[in-house]
Formats: sequence, structure tokens, C-alpha cells
Amino acid sequence: MTAARLSLGRIALNGAAMLSLGFILLPLIFVTWLAFFRQEIPSFPPEGYSLRWFSAAAGNKAFVDGFLLSLQVGVLSTLIGLMLGVPASLALVRHRIVLGPALNTFLLLPLVMPGIVLGTATYVFQIETEIATGLPVLGSAGGLVAAHTLIVIPWVVKLVTASLVGFDRTIEEAAQNLGANPWTTFWRITLPSIRPGLVAAGLFSFVTSFGNLEMSLFLVGPGRITLPIAILQYLEWKIDPAVAAASVIQIVLIGAAMIVTDRYVKLSRVV
Amino acid sequence: MSMTAPEPVAGARTSLAGMLVLPATILVAIGLIGPVAILFRYSLNQFVPGQFMVDGLTLENYVKFFTDAYYLNVLLRTVRVAVICTLACLIMGFPLAYVLARTQSRFKNLMVMLVVLPLFVGNAVRAAGWMTAFGNKGAFNASLLGLGLIDQPIEIMFTENAVLIGIVAVNLPFMVLTLQSVIEGIDRNVEEAAFSLGAGPVAMFRRVLWPLALPGILAGTILTFILAMNAYATPVLLGGPKFQMMGPLVYGQFAQQNNWPFGGAISFILMTATLLLTLAANLIVQRRYR
Repeated sequence: MTAARLSLGRIALNGAAMLSLGFILLPLIFVTWLAFFRQEIPSFPPEGYSLRWFSAAAGNKAFVDGFLLSLQVGVLSTLIGLMLGVPASLALVRHRIVLGPALNTFLLLPLVMPGIVLGTATYVFQIETEIATGLPVLGSAGGLVAAHTLIVIPWVVKLVTASLVGFDRTIEEAAQNLGANPWTTFWRITLPSIRPGLVAAGLFSFVTSFGNLEMSLFLVGPGRITLPIAILQYLEWKIDPAVAAASVIQIVLIGAAMIVTDRYVKLSRVV
Repeated sequence: MSMTAPEPVAGARTSLAGMLVLPATILVAIGLIGPVAILFRYSLNQFVPGQFMVDGLTLENYVKFFTDAYYLNVLLRTVRVAVICTLACLIMGFPLAYVLARTQSRFKNLMVMLVVLPLFVGNAVRAAGWMTAFGNKGAFNASLLGLGLIDQPIEIMFTENAVLIGIVAVNLPFMVLTLQSVIEGIDRNVEEAAFSLGAGPVAMFRRVLWPLALPGILAGTILTFILAMNAYATPVLLGGPKFQMMGPLVYGQFAQQNNWPFGGAISFILMTATLLLTLAANLIVQRRYR
């Protein structure tokens, strides 16, 4: 009796869990379905299926330019974020610095800051910088990279500190006893052992930058927009299979990046 | 640990540590604190139509927000939407988080990836999915009409319900992942102990799992609440131009009205509300789990 009730409860629990998972995935399923429609109007059931919208998306200049800009900004801000964030994480975990925990919280701050507020604040800051220096900051790729680096740093610090905490320092001491200098120890011992954390940090940083919408909205200039904003602006005008096809390309690329990353580090362990 | 370290070495290491942590700290300080300070300064300026922004030291932008019923309604609507979405995320997220945390299945990693993927794909793409479903001839109305459940298409697109559904779907993965990591940290034996002492599943959940998971529940609730308060793409695309929330309101003041002082003030009201809530929730957690 109890066992039967328990297993009934288990079925209900699993059912509720699968419903939630389905709900999370539903929009992606719909947008993928629409990308293969033959007709332009998103009316169900479709009149037929076609692949022509993928070439339409690939021929749309806003999408292609947006994709290239997002890629460029994502790669650059991830690299700069790693170069700044990894040393900071090392210092925070390894050394007792004055105000260490406070510094750690401080570096995570861009993550809890609402995107819209960050966007408006960065916008006025870049305008002031332009006035002060005379350099064209606002709407430039450099301005975007600088802003994206800011939101990438928390992910690097968070994930790299997590992988450093469980790290056995005696291996490093062994390397130094065998004559390795601190630099060699860092390159040959420390860095390879925290590779899962680095890979996860790189993936999260890139995806955070690539998909960022709320902050970039304020920072893009005419003729220079990122892919999420190109998609948003298109959708404000209309929804059709072409924009769905562009979305599907993005879903597939990000999915592929996740599968590749998963070979180095199990995603279920880092998120 | 470093108590035993020889003094001179510790000193040299500390300065090295400072050099390592400094660049990132400077970037965050300049890139975050600087802009927020300038934004606050802007919010005290005056907006004179035709003259753009005039330097000043006035609270009139804040007064304007809190005395105008239109703006107060936008704030109230935003808070209402955020509260409903957060509760829905908690209710829908807990079962999935629990199953993900406790499962021994070899599909666990796949399921986690399926939760993370939509998160990575971005809000605009997911809004596009709902736009496909919600239209008059969209998937929902077509299936309901086909099944004979309704004979007129129901209005979903450009309603509050559409925005609610959209934001819940956007925020649910954050809630699930936060809860999952907390539940994984709870020893399974504690649950078994409750069961062997005669507790039913409901009692076990209420008396054991819920209290132990409370820090994570609060963390997930705060995160989803902040995200819902600041939603932009979902209300713009699914709510339409008439459905105003705080995020689109801020953007409109900057991009369409060119009223930076007022836009800055709304931004600050939004941020202050967010920070106060985070602070309050942290204090509650710390008081209970010192």
C-alpha cells in the first residue's frame, strides 16, 4: 500500500519534472518547426515544408553582420575576461588578501546588476568618455568588448575559483621541489589541472557575451548591431520563417559548443 | 594555514596577490561604479525640451515618477508580473530540480544540457518561439480549434498572459539550476531517515527538504525576481507597445524621448528596488543560518 503510494508519488514527481522541462524547451521547438515552413505566414498547420528560409537567413545582411560582430565581440571579451579573471581567482583562493571575501563579492557584482541598469549606466559613461577623450567609443566594437568584458569577469571568477578550491597544492610543491620555477609550475601544473574550470569559464563567458541583449541594446550603433539585437529588431517588425531559420542556426551552434565542452567537463557538474 | 608561513615570504606573496587581483578589480570599479555614479548624477539633472539636458541638482525626476499614476502603474505592473513569475518558477522548478539532483539516470547530463541550452540561446529567440505559438493562427489556437475546444481564436498575443508565460519560460532554467545544486548538497540519508521515522512524502518535504533547501530557494527566488523585474525582450515582443514594464520604459526614455535625466532616475529606482530586495533576503538567510 505504502509502496504503491510512494511509486505513484514518484510518477507524479517525474511527470511534473518532465512537464517543466517540456515547457522550457517548447519555444525552441516552435521556432525550429517554423523555420521549415513552406509559406511565409506562421499559420498552423503548415502548407508544406521547405529549406529555402535557411538561405534567406544566410542572405540577410543584418543577420550575417550581426553574427560576425557577436562572434568577434564574444571571442575578444572572453579572452580578455580570462586574462583578467584567472589571475584574480588565483590570488583570491591562494592568498589571504586584505578584504579578500569582499573583493570576491565585488568581482561578482556585474552578474547581479540588472542588465538594463548596466546598459544605461555604461551608455552615459561611454558618452562622458567620448566627451573627455574625443575618441569614438559609443557604438564601436571596442566599446562593446569593454562592456562585455565586465559581464564576463564574474563568470570567470566564479567558475575558476570553484575549480581552484578543490585543487591539491602538494602537486605544485612537488614540481617546485623538482626544480620548476613558479612560472613553469603555473603553465605545466596549475593551468592543466584547472582545465575543466577554464573550459567552463570560457563557454559561459562566450555565451554570456554572444547572447547579451539588455546591455548591448544601449551600446550598438547604426549599421553595427549584434545578432540578438538584429533578431529582436526583426521580430518587432514581423515573425516569419527567415528569422526562425536564423534562430535555428544559433541554437545549433550553441548546442554544438555545449556538446564539445561537455567532453572536457560535465556540464551537470559546473552549472 | 598561512599562520605557519614565514613572515617575509607571506609579505612578498601578498604584494604578488595584489598585483594579480588588481587589474580585474580596477576594470570592475571603472566599468561598474563609475558608470553608476555618472548615471546617478544625470538623474539629478533637468530635462528641458528643446535644450536636452541642463545641469542641475534636483529631485524632480524622482518626484515625477512617484507622483504620476502612469509611471506608478508601470512599476506596480512590473512588480506584479515579477512576483507571479517567480512563484510560478518556484512551483514548476522544484520538481524538475529535485529529479535532476537525485536521478541516477545516464540521461542526467543530457537533461541538464536541455535545461541550459535555452538559457544560452537568448531571450529574443525564445520570444520568437512563443510568437509562433500565440498568434490567431498560431499553434495553440490551431490545435484548440482543431480539437473543437474553442470556436473563436483566443487572444493570447499582446496580453499580460503571454508576457507571464514568456518570462516564466525564460527564468525557469535559472531557478532549476540554483535549486538543483542546493538539493545535491543535501544528504540523501536525511530524507531516508525522515521516511523511516514514518514521515510521508509531504511531511518529509515540508519538515526536512524545504528547510534544508531554503538558502537555495531564496537564492533562486532572488535571481528570478531580479530577472523578471528587468525583463526587456519578452514584454516588448509578447506584450506589444501598450504593455509597459520598467525595462522597456527605461529604454524608451533613452532611445526615443532622449530624456536622460528621467531615464536615469527610472533606472536608479529599478536598481534600488533590486538591491534592497537582495540585501533584505540575504539578511533573512544569515539570521536563520548563522
